[in-house]
Amino acid sequence: MAQKSLVTEMHQVQLAIELIELGARLQVLETETDISRARLIKLYKEVRGMSPPKGMLPFSTDWFITWMPNIHSSLFYNIFLRLRQDHGCDRMEAFVRAFRLYQEQVEIDETETVLGLTRAWTLVRFFESDMLQLSACTRCSGHFVAHAHSPSQEYVCGICQPPSRAGKTRKAKAAAPVPPSAPSVRRQA
Amino acid sequence: MEHTAILDEIEELNLAYLLLAQRMLHNDRTSAMFRLKIDEEMADLLLSLNARQLAKLSRTNQLLCHFGHAGAEQLRQVTHNHREQGLSRFHASLLMASRPSAPSSLAGA
Repeated sequence: MAQKSLVTEMHQVQLAIELIELGARLQVLETETDISRARLIKLYKEVRGMSPPKGMLPFSTDWFITWMPNIHSSLFYNIFLRLRQDHGCDRMEAFVRAFRLYQEQVEIDETETVLGLTRAWTLVRFFESDMLQLSACTRCSGHFVAHAHSPSQEYVCGICQPPSRAGKTRKAKAAAPVPPSAPSVRRQA
Repeated sequence: MEHTAILDEIEELNLAYLLLAQRMLHNDRTSAMFRLKIDEEMADLLLSLNARQLAKLSRTNQLLCHFGHAGAEQLRQVTHNHREQGLSRFHASLLMASRPSAPSSLAGA
């Protein structure tokens, strides 16, 4: 490559720092910046105080379709689209902002960040390679992440119609203050 | 009189809204545009208004800020969800983010 501009390089380092702070894996940084791997590792150590985790990134679209991840992914991606389409943000700016705005809602809700930054990035990449699409819920008209080419005529989202086992994980049970003593009324779904 | 009291409140709310919008746009323009659901042209215009103009705009019998949800059917899905899983705030946020917000361009679904 021709001579790299100092300003461009500084912007890239800034972006890398921001991404590392938000929890990016090395693969994200390598793809989104021109900074060498060695420098990225050094930067990562400086920002996080530890070596970057090794191993491959998750590469299946299925995770984004499972119940809670789907809801979180959909919120993030809708915000990302608004920033891209309506507010003229460039790709990575929209990405970082959308992730912060998503985290903000998570904090308001006092819930956990289900969608980590690296997952969010993978999500955007899946959309870019047409492996995912947004389907409109026929009840609430919200837009939700779905597999590409999946039929959406009768689509109902996971909030309007949660799966019967939704929210009944071991963790949720442990977090519940008082376990119901009497068997609760079973409702036929 | 009750009636004028409401008009006063509308004016107050309008002014508060405009001042908040300006403050948000100053702090973080892009995120503010997202939260306010306004386009760039509107963002520039709002920022350029002085105190007198804001006060003038506020003095009206209608609210300047508009409702964030698309319609009653959509909102009902949030407030009257029979299978609520504690996700109503998240749902409301997602629904508002699902709506394109560029009023100046033709709204294509």
